[in-house]
Amino acid sequence: MSTPTEEVSSENYNSAEHSPLLSEIEASLEDGKLPLKAFNDETVHELELERLFSREWIFIGHESEVPEEGDYARRYIAGDPFIFIRDMNGEIQVLFDSCRHRGTKLCRAEQGNTSHFRCPYHGWTYKNDGELVGVPQKEVAFKNLDQSEHGLHSAPRVDSYAGLVFASLSDAGESLEEHLGEFTWYLDIQFKLPDGGMEVIGEPHRWVAETNWKTGADNFAGDSYHTGFAHHSIKQLGLGGDDTVGVAGAGETKDRHIHCNGHTTSTRMVEGEDVFMTYPDEIVDLFNPDNVTSEQYTAAKEALSFTGSVFPNLAFLNFGDITDDPNKDVTGFLGLRKWRPLGPNKTEIWSWALAPKRASEETKERIYKVYMSNFGPTGNFEQDDVSIWNGITDVADSTFASQHNLELNYQMGTEQMSEVAYDEQWPGPGTVYAINLEEVGMQKFHDQWFDHLSTPLETSRRPERSECAGSSECELPEDGE
Amino acid sequence: MVNSMAVNEEQTAEIEQFLCKERVERFLYEEAALLDRREQKAWLSLLDEDIEYKAPLRITREHTNDNFSSSAYYFDEDYGSLKARVQRFESEYAWSERPPSRTRRFVSNVRASKRDDGTVEAKSYLLLYYGQGDSESYTFLAGRRKDVLRPDGETFTIAKRDVYLDHAVPKIDKISVFL
Ligand code: FES
Ligand SMILES: [Fe+2]
Repeated sequence: MSTPTEEVSSENYNSAEHSPLLSEIEASLEDGKLPLKAFNDETVHELELERLFSREWIFIGHESEVPEEGDYARRYIAGDPFIFIRDMNGEIQVLFDSCRHRGTKLCRAEQGNTSHFRCPYHGWTYKNDGELVGVPQKEVAFKNLDQSEHGLHSAPRVDSYAGLVFASLSDAGESLEEHLGEFTWYLDIQFKLPDGGMEVIGEPHRWVAETNWKTGADNFAGDSYHTGFAHHSIKQLGLGGDDTVGVAGAGETKDRHIHCNGHTTSTRMVEGEDVFMTYPDEIVDLFNPDNVTSEQYTAAKEALSFTGSVFPNLAFLNFGDITDDPNKDVTGFLGLRKWRPLGPNKTEIWSWALAPKRASEETKERIYKVYMSNFGPTGNFEQDDVSIWNGITDVADSTFASQHNLELNYQMGTEQMSEVAYDEQWPGPGTVYAINLEEVGMQKFHDQWFDHLSTPLETSRRPERSECAGSSECELPEDGE
Repeated sequence: MVNSMAVNEEQTAEIEQFLCKERVERFLYEEAALLDRREQKAWLSLLDEDIEYKAPLRITREHTNDNFSSSAYYFDEDYGSLKARVQRFESEYAWSERPPSRTRRFVSNVRASKRDDGTVEAKSYLLLYYGQGDSESYTFLAGRRKDVLRPDGETFTIAKRDVYLDHAVPKIDKISVFL
């Protein structure tokens, strides 16, 4: 099996202003590198908003966060505010949080439950599916307003997989199914294994770090190399086992890095053993072989951990052999994270903890506690990651970096750097490295990122009303009668 | 006679209350100074072994300014997990505190009241300056705390602490300090 770096065409560069920057990036990518300045550059950030975040499938939330009709949570696609809500028909909607009259935001809470949103400015009222149902003084003030044409805008496309809800700001492009492709084989292991499904515990952590969103994405796209060093304190203290936080490639575990349909996952496994991410028996009992294929079940059984990245800015970790206190039992936990870009050097990190819905409250609490002790702003792992990441941000906008085109190295795992071995027997899809020392997964992330950045958007179209999002009959609201 | 006895009792109660508050303040100030001096092991000795130490997430709701999660936390600690955090900060690989941060904890608005079980409920405000390295940037964390303190002679140990941060979304790379 080979892993050619996809050729990226530069024909599409549309503007003389961007083309030197893009050519520079392209030249670096061809050599398995990336310009340092890509991690703190205003133009790159603007291109990302315009050409990547406005086009790709962006994670919004997990269905279990809005279990009841009317439940909602405020969510964002980069800078844009949306309302993630379950309407009165039980359907999930992702509505743009802006009144159709004069634009102000309607949602004044981080989350809650409501049947309607009433605009604070002039009182237009919308049902929780976005339909405009009330216009004060309509007969006098707005007698010809067609209410059915003035519902809240929906995100142009909304779709979900295994409880994970995504939205896209673009009404064209590949479907979520195409976007995830065969990578669902790996998502199934994390999200479909237990009877009753997974649910989010509590509310997500959110905090704003002085780092570029791509640094987090890089880290989850197969940076097993950092674990033994950046997180050495975890091992020293006995908070994590050797196999989980030991030096990559040095242990007895069966380590794999997998690239699949533009997404990546890495795993550490103990062949032939019943590991199940070291979840307590109560959880393992909920893992039902009928919910997945026997190959997926075996992979889950042998796994100590799965870490992965869904392009562009969603990541997960199903992490085992970890605790909050060396005198307490280890467990696994499933975390989801989203890197929300707020600027070239600013990222709002969102981090969720999940557990099987049918687990006991006590076990959920324990899983949450171990998650929180290790990830999130106070996490023993994450504290160290983020304080290292912001060091990249600091140097990325240096004069030196841009004048001398300093480049970062992602060549590990390429023929020029090491002997590369693939696992031809692996039962799942994708390109499977038989070692966890490779950075080609990150290269793939960069290639896709570059593909977006170098492809101008088509002329933007007017968004459609929520009811007809995605269908072609009702593209443009008609004016008047 | 009857009247002045009543006055005396009232005064005694007030003096006792005053003394209690004075002692609580002294304790909280010393505790803050200890943490600011990074004497975290000494700080650990102020905690009861059955301590509950929590900082829930603040959740913005429409009709209240003071709403906190009942299941999501920045900290949900017991003695063992706090001890592990303290020990971790001593590792030269605990990068979040390399170099060690400079902190200044401003404790104010202290209110104390005795509880029936002999413990003392202590409420306080906390403003924490956080700076690190040679950078000009710094940040503040602000919040209120509700402690349950166990009297120990003229001082106390901490049986329970709830920290309610004021931030909806903390603007800080990581929270690598005790609150
Ligand atoms: S802006 Fe919403 S009703 Fe006028
Ligand atoms: Fe890490």
